[in-house]
Amino acid sequence: MSLEIQNLHVRIGEREILRGVDLKVERGQTHALMGPNGSGKSTLANTLMGNPNYEVTEGKILLDGEDLTEAAPDERARAGLFLAFQYPATIPGVSVANFLRMAVNARREENIKVKEFGQILGKHMELLKIERAFTSRYLNEGFSGGEKKRAEILQLAMLAPDFAVLDETDSGLDIDALRIVSDGVNAMRGDERGFLIITHYTRILSYVKPEFVHIMLDGRIVRQGGSELADELEEKGYEFVREEVAARA
Amino acid sequence: MPEPAFLEERRARALEAYEAEPVPTWRRSGFWTTSLRRLELDALEPRRYDAVDQLPQIVREHLGDEEHSGLIVQRGASIIYAHCDDPSVTVTPLEQAVEEHPELVEPWLGKRLPVDEGKFAAANAAFWTGGAFINVPKETRLEKPIQVVYLIDEPGTAQYAHTLAVIGEHAECRIREYCLAPPIDGQALHAGAFELYAAAGAQVQLAHYQDWGPGEVHDVSVKRVEVARDARVKWVPVHLGGHLTKQTLDIVTAEPGSDMRHSGLYFTERDEHLDLFTTDKHEAGHTTGDTVWKGALTGESRASYEGLIHIVPHAQETHTYLQTHQMLLSQKAKGDAIPSLIVEVDNVSASHGGTVGELDEEQIFYMQTRGIPRAEAVRVLVEGYFEEVVQRLDDPGLEALVRRRIAEKLAAAEEQVREFIGERA
Ligand SMILES: Nc1ncnc2c1ncn2[C@@H]1O[C@H](COP(=O)(O)OP(=O)(O)OP(=O)(O)O)[C@@H](O)[C@H]1O
Ligand SMILES: [Mg+2]
Repeated sequence: MSLEIQNLHVRIGEREILRGVDLKVERGQTHALMGPNGSGKSTLANTLMGNPNYEVTEGKILLDGEDLTEAAPDERARAGLFLAFQYPATIPGVSVANFLRMAVNARREENIKVKEFGQILGKHMELLKIERAFTSRYLNEGFSGGEKKRAEILQLAMLAPDFAVLDETDSGLDIDALRIVSDGVNAMRGDERGFLIITHYTRILSYVKPEFVHIMLDGRIVRQGGSELADELEEKGYEFVREEVAARA
Repeated sequence: MPEPAFLEERRARALEAYEAEPVPTWRRSGFWTTSLRRLELDALEPRRYDAVDQLPQIVREHLGDEEHSGLIVQRGASIIYAHCDDPSVTVTPLEQAVEEHPELVEPWLGKRLPVDEGKFAAANAAFWTGGAFINVPKETRLEKPIQVVYLIDEPGTAQYAHTLAVIGEHAECRIREYCLAPPIDGQALHAGAFELYAAAGAQVQLAHYQDWGPGEVHDVSVKRVEVARDARVKWVPVHLGGHLTKQTLDIVTAEPGSDMRHSGLYFTERDEHLDLFTTDKHEAGHTTGDTVWKGALTGESRASYEGLIHIVPHAQETHTYLQTHQMLLSQKAKGDAIPSLIVEVDNVSASHGGTVGELDEEQIFYMQTRGIPRAEAVRVLVEGYFEEVVQRLDDPGLEALVRRRIAEKLAAAEEQVREFIGERA
């Protein structure tokens, strides 16, 4: 039971951004994906969700064995995939609460009862220390960077997907918020769920300890290791990985 | 009974202007033309009807069962229903007010509606019948709204409508004017005039709701609002249907301290043609304004919105802005949204912005990643787009009505929207 990415090649327009990515996240595991700016991390995240701007030219995305490479984004979501965006879109005129209700209902046969929804929402908001008033604001409209990230994590908590990709959710969070968000993620970890955490910083990884760390460079995963790899990276920077890759070639 | 001299004289001047003017064609640079070439004006007549006790169904459907301070319903050329049991205000047919209270009407009638502003303004001033007169005396605060309905329900109708509203100092009220028609098979004309004067310190929430249905109703109207010292008018015109509409909507902050919020929306479909020109005119300094207009187009409809901010000399310390957005939802719809600015004084802030665009793919994708199917995402985004204006109605019943109509129009256009949006994915 896993999210599996096989030999994924992706282009935007004429440019090949991902050049053969292999990655497998089993349920119950937490993986970190690190890499310099522009190396293709968000491209991978967007491609996993089926962003129409990104064209898959080769390779596959499998969720528990089911091929989702060609599926529409909403099908992938209903199949159990979730992405907390690095730069989430603004949805004017739609409140956080209404948006969440729609998203929750999209994966249910029958619409959730108002009371039940309110209870679940209340519980998660408390956990994430989000104020009531927040849910009546239009989603992401005028939100600060940190508020947007919290709204993403609130959605993650409400939708309880099987596999979640967090694209730089830690960037833009202050220390307290990072702690709260990390606690929220940790509370969701478990045998039935896998995480892929994209980040530039080891700080979040000290709260949400990954079992595996992958380093992406120029559209490929060039190194993998345990959580110690993140520390090594922090110490030495990407240049050393680059040199290593060059030496290997 | 003959009409008072001031009115006879006004009608005579108007008739002269009417006869001197050709049926106009409005052109602007670019592709835009509004023409009444197809309207057979001579075949239309001001149809008369008897008064009724029971409101016509379409009127009941729109008004709901909310209580009112006063209600006037004009069908064709005749007032068929007039009701006002609030002794603190006057809400009567204008033709009756002219007889009974000429002294209240004369200072205001046409104060900002010259009779020689074009063929249809002249026609209106010369031929109007029925009409509505609203007088809210100073310091009166009304809880319940005042409602005026213009109904056209037979082809061949010419309706010359005139609403005059005079809101006294520090009075507070809500006014709604509805323009309604069931589906009719043939042509009709509504040439309307609306004028509202808000005296010093008055607070007015004003809504115009237009839905002429799918019939060939032509609407050529002028609506003008004057806001006096420290008064505040919030005005929300809503255009939800009309074969051809050519309207001028002006709001004037006439004295220091006056403030206006002007927000409108339109949704055109099929082969509808909508041409709106709004002016926010600041005639005095220390006035403020805030205008937002939003539109959406489906089918082969055409919609043009031009919004002008005009700040006259001496109107120092005026702060105002205008935004307009238009969303195209089908391949064959075409429109424009043009903000413009005439500022004849320094020391003011006036900004404007306009966009014509399509739905944002990034937003649709985002919603889809939450499991929401594409068609639903599109619907929610369009409804959300209008929400800013809908909420400015500040009137739950009317808000619900407008939301429902927008949802209906979107549902009716689902196929073409899907085709249009799908094509770009
Ligand atoms: N929509 C797009 N159009 C054109 N180029 C794009 C687009 N999205 C990404 N790219 C390019 O693809 C490359 C990879 O970008 P991506 O966003 O995946 O990097 P990243 O690893 O997430 O970087 P960061 O750490 O800065 O978030 C970059 O060169 C970027 O400019
Ligand atoms: Mg990125």
